[in-house]
Amino acid sequence: MTDQPHETHERWILGTELIWAFGVGVLVAATISVIVFTALTLNINPPSNVERVDPKTLHLSGEFSEQNLGTLVAADGTVTARIIATQFTFVPHCIALPRGRPVTLRLASPDVIHGILITGTNVNTMVVPGYVAQVHTEFTQSGELLMPCHEYCGLGHSEMWAVVQVLSAAEFKPDGDGRVSCAQR
Amino acid sequence: MRSVDRLCLAHLWLAFGAFAGAAVLGVWQMWVRSPLGAHTGTPGDYYMSVTAHGVTMAYVLSTFFIMGFGYFVAVTALNRPLPGQGWAWTAFVAGIIGVVMALVSIALGKASVLYTFYPPLTATAWFYIGLILVVAASWVWCVLMFVSMTAWKRENPGVPVPLAMFATVANALLWLWTTAGLTVELLYQVVPAAMGFVQTVDVGLSRTLFSWTLHAIVYFWLIPAYIAFYTMLPRAAGGRLYSDTMGRLTFIFFLIYSLPVGLHHLLMDPEHGNGTKFIQVLLTAFVAAPTVLTIFTIPASLEIAGRLRGGRGVFGWIAALPWDRPMVLASGLSFVMLAFGGLGGLINMAYGMNAMVHNTSWVTAHFHLIYGGTAVIMYFAIAYEIWPRLTGRQHESFSPLRWQLWLWFVGMMVMTLPWHWLGLQGQWRRVANFNYDSPIIAGWGPLVIVSLGGGLLLLASALLFVRNLAVLHRSVLPAPSGSLYALAVVPPRHVPAALNGFGLWNVLVLTSMLLAYGYPIAQFVIAPSPTAIVHRIE
Amino acid sequence: MPVDQPRPAHNPLEESDHIDDAALNVVLRTVPLGAAVLAGSAVALVVLGYLAIYLLIFLPRGVVG
Repeated sequence: MTDQPHETHERWILGTELIWAFGVGVLVAATISVIVFTALTLNINPPSNVERVDPKTLHLSGEFSEQNLGTLVAADGTVTARIIATQFTFVPHCIALPRGRPVTLRLASPDVIHGILITGTNVNTMVVPGYVAQVHTEFTQSGELLMPCHEYCGLGHSEMWAVVQVLSAAEFKPDGDGRVSCAQR
Repeated sequence: MRSVDRLCLAHLWLAFGAFAGAAVLGVWQMWVRSPLGAHTGTPGDYYMSVTAHGVTMAYVLSTFFIMGFGYFVAVTALNRPLPGQGWAWTAFVAGIIGVVMALVSIALGKASVLYTFYPPLTATAWFYIGLILVVAASWVWCVLMFVSMTAWKRENPGVPVPLAMFATVANALLWLWTTAGLTVELLYQVVPAAMGFVQTVDVGLSRTLFSWTLHAIVYFWLIPAYIAFYTMLPRAAGGRLYSDTMGRLTFIFFLIYSLPVGLHHLLMDPEHGNGTKFIQVLLTAFVAAPTVLTIFTIPASLEIAGRLRGGRGVFGWIAALPWDRPMVLASGLSFVMLAFGGLGGLINMAYGMNAMVHNTSWVTAHFHLIYGGTAVIMYFAIAYEIWPRLTGRQHESFSPLRWQLWLWFVGMMVMTLPWHWLGLQGQWRRVANFNYDSPIIAGWGPLVIVSLGGGLLLLASALLFVRNLAVLHRSVLPAPSGSLYALAVVPPRHVPAALNGFGLWNVLVLTSMLLAYGYPIAQFVIAPSPTAIVHRIE
Repeated sequence: MPVDQPRPAHNPLEESDHIDDAALNVVLRTVPLGAAVLAGSAVALVVLGYLAIYLLIFLPRGVVG
């Protein structure tokens, strides 16, 4: 067999591969663009706040001391829920949050790695000892949602979960200090 | 039987024997998590099982299979004896000792840290030392693969390295690069903590070091499947490889693109910001390239085979393929699972969208499908193909082989597809038992049972696989002769050095790892995270 | 391989696979049309699947960041 048919074949074959690669490249670029576009316009991001905190002294004072946990409506109206994730419970066990308003969840762990998701929502974050995990979101539906620990944290991991009550404006009533507890049902 | 045959068989039997045991554990785990087995077994039992199952499937099945297959390729593709067989056997013994150390630690309840073993949860040091021995054994294999290829090149100057060996060495280099992260984490942080030399650990650093390993390791597992696609499948189907050049590029792309993207496993982590995360997502798009090339090149190669067999029209060549041959059947099934697994992976890496699926059953479903499905079904196919050469005997019938492959495919689809849906509902990972009294969780029950059904099919398939290999050892038919490796449409005569070696690519990997991981790791050296207290689980 | 080195009895690099060159050339007139259609359809379906999940499941669950 002479070399010429070889070279012709080789050029043709590589040509088809290039066309294919280009075509798929366009598709991949388009898909990435969708991600970038929504990230910028809708401000959809993975948890982005890098903030350190000492797990060994969390409970002692400051933001994550026990009396400051749970949902707090600040003077300017911002809603923040502070939660401790620890083997094998969340403190508080029930978190009240409003529907249809921007909320911020801030979590910290004094011991091992935990993580949370809230069922039916896009709320999801790891809780890594040494860091404050922060998620911003807006709940679109009222109801009682499950917030399990989703990262293996030891033998009691299966029993570690919290409840999130998403309350309508009528039910979401801060007390004098701006704190909101779960509604008794 | 030659000594190298024994070497290959030793590795492969260790891999597959452990695999069968882990498959049994997997079904027990699914039973306990389902409404049918609720309240069976303690969390202690469960997490022991999950750790054993994960360590075996992710570290033992994969590593020893790849080593055994690699030794086979080094001898048969290069047609020369394996250098350093003494080293290879020593490494195997070290590897077995490591496996035993790890599994015994787990069985004693002193290592229920799962195969990801994230600090500050800390197991007994023996567990980690066992894993380190396995990794060290695999490094010996890497060196021997490289030495084999280099010696052959010296004896054959200017000749293109056979693609199967080129790909095997690419995989060996990828493994050396990727295990660096896990090794540093173990030696610098985890083992000192396990031995009590330190009482605290920087968790941001340990997460980051492990993530270094976490992505490329899955390509280490996947590349043997691709080696079969490119170098064995076209011949088994009766055709030619469409493009040898694309084959080389595919394995080079795996080497350079799969390493710097490990941080995409930390998209939900608080120790890195969204600048790093976004760059990682963009880089991850590149690792789609080798797969994208493959899903064109391999069907094109099969199309040659199908049309040579008389297939006509746009799709007629598909039916014309020899689907009765296990390598062809397994490859077709593998590609179907690759489509679903690829879709899952695309969603996992999609930046903010990862929040929808992270640490849910979606993730478990994804990696069972893409590794357990796409990759491992090709491990079966490769085993069926090379076992006759190793034992000198041929399968007496291909029918049980096909049954086993179909069972694996159907089982994997039935197990993982509902799992994806459950993940979207919020079912989370690594749970020893679910409280089916809770209304949200109760709703998941039926699909969990369906998934369990898939798992049972997989167990049947796993046992049938071991049976198919075992009976081959007593078969009366002689093994076929002739090359296992496909020719290319255009056999390579001269390839540029860049497509025949890895000097340039190693430099590229080093550069990209510095760029991708330089700051993310350096930040912990410059300013360590507030440390967490070591939490012993034993 | 250099001619002055002994050739092994069986060289996997050059062992014939008994495929007729003429038949191969005929087939290469059509290939890779079928592969392009198959692979192209598969990629299109995967991308559509991704967009569907993004628009129909992910976005309705609320913005998060």
